Amino acid sequence: MNFLQTLQQEFRTVFSDVAIVLTIFGGVILYSFLYPQPYAHESVSSLPVSVVDYDKSDKSRDLVFKLDATPQILVKREDLSEEDAKAALLRGDIKAIIIIPAHFKRDISLKKSPTIALGADSSYFLIFGGVLEAAMKSILTESASIKIGTKLTQNIPIEAAKKEYTPYVLKTINLFNKNNSYTQYVIPAVFVLILQQTMLIGLAILGGGVRERAYKHYNYNTSTLNIMASHFIIFFSIFFIHLLFYFGFSFEYFGVTHLAQMGDLLKFSFAFLVATVFFGIFLGSIFSSREIATPVILFSSLPLVFSAGFVWPLEALPEWLRVISNFIPSTPAIEGFLKLNQMGASFDMILDNYVILLIQATIYAILGYYFIKKQRKNIG
Amino acid sequence: MILIDTFIDEMRSIKNSYYKLLLISLFPLLSYFLIISIFYDGVLENMPIVVVDKEKSQLSRGLIRKIDATKTLSVAYKLDSLKDASALVQDAKAYALVIIPKHFTKDTLTHKQPKVTAMVNTQYILVGKIITSALNSAIASSAGELEFMNNLVQYKETHLSKEALSPIKLQITPFFNMYQNYFLFLVSALLPSIWQIFIVIVTIVSFGELVKSQKDKEYFRKNTFAKIVGKMLPYTLFYMLLGVLSLFYIYGTLGWVFEGSFAVMIVAIFLTVVAYQGIALLFLVSGFDYARSLSLGAVYTAPAFAFLGVTFPVYNMNDFALFWRDMLPISYYMQLQISQANYGANPSYEVNTLFSLLLFWLVFIPVYLRFKQRVSS
Repeated sequence: MNFLQTLQQEFRTVFSDVAIVLTIFGGVILYSFLYPQPYAHESVSSLPVSVVDYDKSDKSRDLVFKLDATPQILVKREDLSEEDAKAALLRGDIKAIIIIPAHFKRDISLKKSPTIALGADSSYFLIFGGVLEAAMKSILTESASIKIGTKLTQNIPIEAAKKEYTPYVLKTINLFNKNNSYTQYVIPAVFVLILQQTMLIGLAILGGGVRERAYKHYNYNTSTLNIMASHFIIFFSIFFIHLLFYFGFSFEYFGVTHLAQMGDLLKFSFAFLVATVFFGIFLGSIFSSREIATPVILFSSLPLVFSAGFVWPLEALPEWLRVISNFIPSTPAIEGFLKLNQMGASFDMILDNYVILLIQATIYAILGYYFIKKQRKNIG
Repeated sequence: MILIDTFIDEMRSIKNSYYKLLLISLFPLLSYFLIISIFYDGVLENMPIVVVDKEKSQLSRGLIRKIDATKTLSVAYKLDSLKDASALVQDAKAYALVIIPKHFTKDTLTHKQPKVTAMVNTQYILVGKIITSALNSAIASSAGELEFMNNLVQYKETHLSKEALSPIKLQITPFFNMYQNYFLFLVSALLPSIWQIFIVIVTIVSFGELVKSQKDKEYFRKNTFAKIVGKMLPYTLFYMLLGVLSLFYIYGTLGWVFEGSFAVMIVAIFLTVVAYQGIALLFLVSGFDYARSLSLGAVYTAPAFAFLGVTFPVYNMNDFALFWRDMLPISYYMQLQISQANYGANPSYEVNTLFSLLLFWLVFIPVYLRFKQRVSS
């Protein structure tokens, strides 16, 4: 068969295989909807806490009000004793307990520094961190106003007193993901992985299927290059459209920032897609049946997500793992896409990632060619 | 007995199939090993940041030393150019950029309260949060020392000047995960998330191979129920063992305290494994297509981790996410694991959650009926 006939045959084969179609169309669309769901509200807010106020003074009520006013904390209960609050915590009714001691107001005026006790469920780090951050902020503002009050009694004018309560302060500015949005954090990285995994599964089901002769009316009388070129054209085009859908429509829909220049983004996407297509062709050439692809690629997903460096930093990974994970397209791709599109880096900052992808593409193209050729010889 | 014969049959088929052997041994262990290796350190240390010191005085250098001395942070770069420094952050070579302003010393001494600015890369939320809080405490403690000295001059008494420093104190008690360690936090949820993928996939593989070779009609013609159970059983046992071993690894060998009852967990592991096996079979009988049911299994199990509520809290999920979460046995299992391992909750308190897991077993009714229908067709 010539190239055009081969392309036609491969095209028919891909679209008549329900498992492939389900993965590369159904999976891609379904995941784009499903993955962002948990984070629809984006950030952590209104965590239920209980306050046990043993003082019941205007000062303590003022503090409770300040706590409730923070975005992270919702004062859901006011318990009379610690025991009641603890029981509510074990029931899962609340996630933290804040205890204001008796004589809170009196101790402040006597300069005896009363202690607020905060107990929070640290099984869930975001909850613990959120409650802690809010409590610290409210107590710091309360403390600052007390300090300013003290200075005022020393006949220091209010403007000066406001500045004098601490010698210097830290002002933090969040770069790139200003609101600490979880969507912004997870989606740009996970989408790259979804594109890779669905494409790999599709290609590897196809490769395994051809090898075990699962397709009826399949003509083996064509060259290895024709087959590889056909698979490349079919999968590259389908996933190029998927990629535009993800980075264009989905990002817009879920409100994810996109800072990259169009040209840079397309150039990097090209390297990512080429590397992934050849990696998929290579995997298809070593799997002996249609059914091996989905499990093996599925198992790699969680380790790949967490070795990509966006959840747990690359600095904290063991060296050997960093080396190995750079043989998979998603690792340099996620790093590059995040820098380019979320952090507004220039193309020369992601040149490393780009080059790694091109090297991968070359290696896997050669390996794929070699294995398909060898396998076809065995078939005869 | 047919059930036992089928069980032995399946064990033999595992022995003769590299693929099945890999699925119950090397593959899960390798995935577990990778996840454990990634988080093995558990805490972040010496995260690189860049400092632009516009003053270069004794005071500013002291502050930089203070930041560098924290466990979490390491001042990896000191630059003069803001542009170069922010490029390092964009390039993720540094996770934050700290700027000490001009006239820092003068403004401090004249009570103008200068601002030290930190621009933190919060694209990586977890790292960003850890760095922000490390910077906050480094600056607060060095500012506090200075203030203490000032107060000392003012009040001439150490005791009073300490009180003036912080009129209200905060005492923090982390309940349950006392260690503040990310290993325990993430790995204890990631291993079960991988575990459920394996249970579903292996069940589909073992029944699917029979379906693919068209032998299933003959195989399940008589004693359908006993045969289904017997064929599932080896995997039920393997994955129960894996579940128990991983709990034992985390809470037994690594020394984290397990507060609750292991017996409850073993029941939970049993209920969860069988629930997932039932769901796997439901995918298979939906069309008796091996490769397609693997795709369904992938869609169902792969995103589970995000829905557990361990990282992103359940309180902030939307209705659809909560619904999807309820459809995953692993959510109930995780709830049990946290409440047993961390809270040490009374076993009687877990009855509801265990019962929810048991409800998933209802899927065996349609599975059985579909098999019956298939063998009679």
